[in-house]
Amino acid sequence: MNGASLQLPRPAVALWPLLPALVLLPLTLLLPALVHGGGWDLLGRFALAALRPSFEPVVLRSLLQGLAITVGTALLGWAASLLLGLTLGIASARVVWQTLAGASWPALLIRRLLAIPRAIHELLWGLLLLQVIGLQPAVAVLAIALPFGALVARVVSDQIDSLPLRNLEALRAAGASAPGALLTCLGPPLLPLLLSYSGYRFECALRSATLLGVFGLGGLGTELRLTLQSLAFAELWSGLWLLLLTMLLLEAAVSGLRHRWAMPLRFSAAAAGVGRQGRELLLAALALIPLLVAVAWGLGLHPGQLLHWQGLPPLGQPQWQAVAALPWFQLILNTLLLTALAAAVAVGCAPLLLLLAAPWRPARLVLQAFWALGRLWPPPLTALLLLFVLQPGVLTGALAIGFHNLGILGRLLLEAAAAADAGPAQALELAGSGPRLALLYGRFSGLARPYLAYGAYRADVILRESVVVGLVGATGLGSQLLEALSGFAWDQLAALVLAYVLLTLLGEALSDRLRQRLSEPR
Amino acid sequence: MSHLLELERVTVPGRGRPRLDQVTLRLTAGERVALIGASGAGKSTLIAVANGLLNPAEGQVLWQGRPPARQGRRRRLQQSRIGTLWQDLRLVEELSVQQTLNAGRLASWGWPRALLNLLLPLETGACRELMERLDLDPALLCQPVSALSGGQRQRVALGRLLRQDPQLLLADEPLASLDPRLAADLLSLLLRQGQAPRALLLSLHRPDLLHGFDRVVGLRQGRVRFDLSVPEGGSAALAPHLEQLYAGATRP
Repeated sequence: MNGASLQLPRPAVALWPLLPALVLLPLTLLLPALVHGGGWDLLGRFALAALRPSFEPVVLRSLLQGLAITVGTALLGWAASLLLGLTLGIASARVVWQTLAGASWPALLIRRLLAIPRAIHELLWGLLLLQVIGLQPAVAVLAIALPFGALVARVVSDQIDSLPLRNLEALRAAGASAPGALLTCLGPPLLPLLLSYSGYRFECALRSATLLGVFGLGGLGTELRLTLQSLAFAELWSGLWLLLLTMLLLEAAVSGLRHRWAMPLRFSAAAAGVGRQGRELLLAALALIPLLVAVAWGLGLHPGQLLHWQGLPPLGQPQWQAVAALPWFQLILNTLLLTALAAAVAVGCAPLLLLLAAPWRPARLVLQAFWALGRLWPPPLTALLLLFVLQPGVLTGALAIGFHNLGILGRLLLEAAAAADAGPAQALELAGSGPRLALLYGRFSGLARPYLAYGAYRADVILRESVVVGLVGATGLGSQLLEALSGFAWDQLAALVLAYVLLTLLGEALSDRLRQRLSEPR
Repeated sequence: MSHLLELERVTVPGRGRPRLDQVTLRLTAGERVALIGASGAGKSTLIAVANGLLNPAEGQVLWQGRPPARQGRRRRLQQSRIGTLWQDLRLVEELSVQQTLNAGRLASWGWPRALLNLLLPLETGACRELMERLDLDPALLCQPVSALSGGQRQRVALGRLLRQDPQLLLADEPLASLDPRLAADLLSLLLRQGQAPRALLLSLHRPDLLHGFDRVVGLRQGRVRFDLSVPEGGSAALAPHLEQLYAGATRP
């Protein structure tokens, strides 16, 4: 008799992605208590305005200007983060140090140091830089470039260190120089991965640039927030439709290029070949340089300005006793609760909704549109919108962030489901199981592990992101941090940023462990 | 007389020449039909048309005298009466053997039972009985499919088909990758399963295994070249036909 039959039965892998959706049960019980009912008519007006956006030339011109600033900021921030990330990634790869200098400890040191800029959300970078160098276009660009650069560096160095080393050793043994051997052995397998990842990073950069705008750093985000706060819903929707169009075009372009250059999907482990598109790639890269220069010029970005630091507001005596008296336990608990709720909503609802919509093509299209809105709509704006009918708090913040991440995870799930082997699901459907059960049994079984592994990574992002809904109040560290920033209580600010960094590093370690366990074969 | 499956002048286009060219074929209850031909003759395409995976460009498919419904409950009911043993098996690697066997019942089970099947071992008695019939150790029921050997997987796939209990059994080269003893076992199981009121259509490229079938249909380049009943004495009488069928093709 087999020992496994004595164990308690555990849910089959196919059900795992749906388990986080169980959080919806307590949520539906709690939500009615939060509704204050004041703004249902406002919400209705907002929804109706979707069909009647404003086409006034003045509005459109200012929105297009805002969009140009946002896209330009995203492009510059993205390019700078890639450059930074590639350099730092190579500098923090063990193999590189081992081959060039014979020791790998500097790589580890750099890697540790890079964890700090990575742990601070781009919004925090933006607001901190704003205090130091004043309001100028470079703030948003830097705010994107710094944390994204550190993120890219981590991915690059992880990839480099996971490549097999036998070829490198063979080349070295044949007398090749260290840099030449490194470039020959690591470059080609790295390129397709890097291309795919950088395409994804650009999508992230666009979302971040919009978000930074919401907090006053210019561009379309600023327009969106202003129109929302003045309840000019028609103008708001003009901006939203514009943003949606841009985002969908960008996503289509990225996935088109990914196919063209034979890039791997984001969470598939196997790297495809670069293909024969080397020349095309080189041309694209060369065309990018004048474009970047033109964009920088158009935005009025002057490197010299970065050196003009503005005088900080007078720093008072630090009052550490007051800092220590903050309700730290409550703040951290709320932050973690918000993260867990948002992650569960996002991770669990994507497969659930996909399953519900499976039999009808129109429903699937509606779902895709819903997800696209989620991706595009910056969480603080969703939070402000929710405040029309809900009371501020952890739950409201969690719903806003959860909706945003649902859009991101849903699209990934759909992409992965389309790329997976259709055979088993087809066999079930042809045996009469119906489209929903075919999807559940046939596709979710194989997708569950990589999907949840990505979900674990996403939870990590959500923890960092929890600061952006701080403005709806009572959401933990995020709210406290924004409050400290507005009064520039630098002692509180330092302590709160430190707390965030520690929490994020801890979360990262946990989610790494979880991901490793999920990717282990049974 | 009612037919379980009728293909009427079915054509499926392909690159260059059609994959199926004006194929007409009828199966009545109790008939066990072997479909033979060289690789690329159109055997897999014919099976795919028969089970509804492919819609023919021309011609008509009838299941139990009725055209396939477009979708919805009626189509599911029709599909549940047709079972396929796929060449690549199409098993879900992550499910346990018991869940896989029970997946054959999904057409008749509602949502709650389908979910419960992923949580708890359901209908263990029926599954054990089936395992014994398939000459598999019932202790394998709680193992994941990914842990099985090639021969075991083949039999689990057949088990899922038997759990479905279809009236028309289709099998696409089920014997191709099996050793002779396993192949003979599997064939005899399938032939027994294809007795009235059921019917069996099985494709193979080995003319030496025709014993036990009622009819043999020869395909070449997408066309039916012959449709004969298998004589008592075995395949010797068919030799000239087979010779023609494989002429010019590399015989496997």
